[in-house]
Amino acid sequence: MSTNTPRKPMPSALTFDLHAKCSTTKARASTLTLPHGPVPLPIFMPVATQASIKGLTYDQLKQTGCMLCLNNTYHLGLKPGQSVLDAVGGAHKLQGWDRNILTDSGGFQMVSLLKLATITEEGVQFLSPHDGSPMLLTPEHSISLQNSIGSDIIMQLDDVIATTTPDRVRINEAMERSVRWLDRCIDAHKYPEKQNLFCIIQGGLDLELRKKCCAEMVVRDTPGIAIGGLSGGEAKEEFCKVVDTCTGLLPEEKPRYVMGVGYPEDLVVAVALGADMFDCVWPTRTARFGNAVTKNGTFNLRHISYANDFRPVDEDCPCACCRPTEKGGLGITRAYIYHLAAKETVGAHLLTIHNVHYLLSLMGSCRQSILEDRFPAFLREFFRNQYGDKSNYPAWAVGALRQVGVDLMED
Amino acid sequence: MGSGSDMVNFNILSPGVAPVLSPRLGKLALAGRKSICTPHYLPLTTRGAVPHLSHDVIRDHTTVGSVYVGLEDSQRNFPLTQQRPPGLRSVIEKEKKHGGPPLYKTPAAPHESALRKFISAPEEFLLIMGARRQPPVACPTPNSPTSISILTSVGFRQLDAEEYIQATRTLRPDIIVGMADLILGRQAGKKRCEKMVDRTHAHTRDATERLYGSSKVEERSKTAYFAPILPLENTQQLLYLEELQDELRDFISGLALYESASLSIIPEPLGTLPRLLFNEPATPHEVLKEIALGADLLTLPFLVKSSDAGMAFDFAFPPPSKSSEQTARPLALNLRSPTNATDLSPLSENCKCYACRNHHRAYLNHLLNAKEMLAWTLLQIHNHHVLDNFFAGIRESIKNGTFEQHADSFHKVYAPAFPEQTGEGPRLRGYQLSPGGPNQPPRHPKVFNRLDDAFDKYAESKSSLGTPDAGSDELESRGFAEKKDH
Repeated sequence: MSTNTPRKPMPSALTFDLHAKCSTTKARASTLTLPHGPVPLPIFMPVATQASIKGLTYDQLKQTGCMLCLNNTYHLGLKPGQSVLDAVGGAHKLQGWDRNILTDSGGFQMVSLLKLATITEEGVQFLSPHDGSPMLLTPEHSISLQNSIGSDIIMQLDDVIATTTPDRVRINEAMERSVRWLDRCIDAHKYPEKQNLFCIIQGGLDLELRKKCCAEMVVRDTPGIAIGGLSGGEAKEEFCKVVDTCTGLLPEEKPRYVMGVGYPEDLVVAVALGADMFDCVWPTRTARFGNAVTKNGTFNLRHISYANDFRPVDEDCPCACCRPTEKGGLGITRAYIYHLAAKETVGAHLLTIHNVHYLLSLMGSCRQSILEDRFPAFLREFFRNQYGDKSNYPAWAVGALRQVGVDLMED
Repeated sequence: MGSGSDMVNFNILSPGVAPVLSPRLGKLALAGRKSICTPHYLPLTTRGAVPHLSHDVIRDHTTVGSVYVGLEDSQRNFPLTQQRPPGLRSVIEKEKKHGGPPLYKTPAAPHESALRKFISAPEEFLLIMGARRQPPVACPTPNSPTSISILTSVGFRQLDAEEYIQATRTLRPDIIVGMADLILGRQAGKKRCEKMVDRTHAHTRDATERLYGSSKVEERSKTAYFAPILPLENTQQLLYLEELQDELRDFISGLALYESASLSIIPEPLGTLPRLLFNEPATPHEVLKEIALGADLLTLPFLVKSSDAGMAFDFAFPPPSKSSEQTARPLALNLRSPTNATDLSPLSENCKCYACRNHHRAYLNHLLNAKEMLAWTLLQIHNHHVLDNFFAGIRESIKNGTFEQHADSFHKVYAPAFPEQTGEGPRLRGYQLSPGGPNQPPRHPKVFNRLDDAFDKYAESKSSLGTPDAGSDELESRGFAEKKDH
């Protein structure tokens, strides 16, 4: 692996405008302009796995303020398949979404389907869960699929292993292979002028490997950089250290995307550590199980205690679901969600609207506070609302924020 | 004049007089609610929601202005005496501790409807409540003289006539469909038919007395009463029909019918009342027949069934002129069909609905294959829109006196039935299945078995590979994977 070989020049189809940096933490507020419009950062990206945010129309998604959502290469490659995507003219046309799309490479599914997959230098061998037929996913194939999908941001295929793998040799191999695969992805990428290829920093929880990977990937000059291989069950302290280490080595003028993060407290801490973009299926998935994500924590509205609770899902929340009818909202109550949850699809739709809106507006408030340079105060308020008493604050978050100059424990 | 019949204002616009057995044009108006031009269909709800349509989608992308709610959808607690499935005990105990169905505890001001509040229905929606959802599931337990058997989300129970009256007072829907003793799923014998009439007669008399009989105006219920007409011969329910015309006439604001044949036995003095028909027409052809017999409001269970089945309606009234070829036009497009995989045309040509304006057949085909919920949402939007136009066309045609002629050509132009469903719809709910005995086979095959099989196959194939790190050329030569061209 060498950093000196001449490389194909890397065009970029985005502009990144850094507006403000928090004077205490590493948090940044910026605007990422992609081929389908500007995206305010930091941002949470809801996941439309199979070209649909579970049950929501794209107008409902727009009303939550979403400018950028995810599609999943692995799933779209299986259904509807590349030939349909080519015939239809890409994922934007397929799903009638005129804002931005980011696609992952399909690599993460290798972790979730690891039992079925073997990784070789050539690519990832696995079995289609739809019909059981064996498939080989190479970096070239992943990029070709993402070129067919036409997403605004495409991800390299990386060698993902379980974050908590104890095998350091394997972690090192995965990191180095991810760099080699990045080169193959760059070579295979047909439309660098309209689709932005992001590299993915690997290296498990080993900070030295992460540093090495950052150095290798930064010189390859992709339009954006992702930190991958996290959210796999590692301790939150480890997660924070990796994010902190990586953001410290990444160029300031590029967007940084931490993959697979969706819990509200993880998001705000990662923002404080200098990350800009996040995605996770959790807010939409948990909505289908009747869980409401609110400023005061996450509640399972299928619990009997909500059967007679006629308050809105999240009081003062301005989303369509929670807003009272007098203010043009739907005036949905917890009791009604209790009545519908897991019984009618409408219950899932309503909570999905709320949860997506909550996370998008949480990131919006983060951004505003960074622009006004009052992010530390925002953090304090956030944790106070989520956890109430200071004794309930998670130690990892307190520790991580202390590293960037915010002590949640002091008043 | 009693307080019942003046709550609902129903004007028959055409024809001027109201002969039985002819299509008629009307306008159903209640103070504060969207008025409904009839004939029209009454959107059906499940647990107070129109299936797959969240409240903002209804507001933004449909013209729905009235809904039917079955009270049984909100009932959960069992009387203690009744046998319960063992797994439900804890749920029931908890609910008992919390005291009865939450629906009844919805806070509402005296002028507000608790039902409306509970299901978050807009103020202008006309709310019609009945005891049972539509279509109802036949219950294994029989009705009693003072109660009917209902299906709640946790099993069967009896709904007392008394509780139903109380529910009406508490929930204050705009219109209540009176309790009827109906036999579902089998033919009732002669004796049982007599009982049906006697019990329904008693339910109607008691309920109207309890709701509107008070000498004090302020104590009278503001909910209008639609009296049931039983799906029996005229002669079998003569006494009941007579009382409806005489003593009860002032209390009732409309009639609820359970088969289209009942349209022909409505006594003339009741002819000016709106007729709500609860049956299950299978096709638009049958809808036309019912309208021809003078039905005003219809329930159409085939609407959500078609959406669930992946069907996009494709019919209009008046029908397009028959093309030269002999094949009948299909009533709907099966979007699951692989022929739609790359078809970028709207669900149906020239349709102005939200789904057709923003999406195409290829997307719906993909969503259905992927079992994404949005498929059913978009199909519901489209199918409601097609029905809106269908009924608007019918009303226009009645006004112009061309209804019969157009209905004739509709039968000639369109296929007699909807296309065959292929593939699976959304997960089936309890109310969509007829209750069988114990130990029923699972409704759907276990999805994860396929993956387990695949894993076995993979383990086998792997053992025949030279090394786990075999390159793709080697794999291809072994037929393990196909290398695609990049």
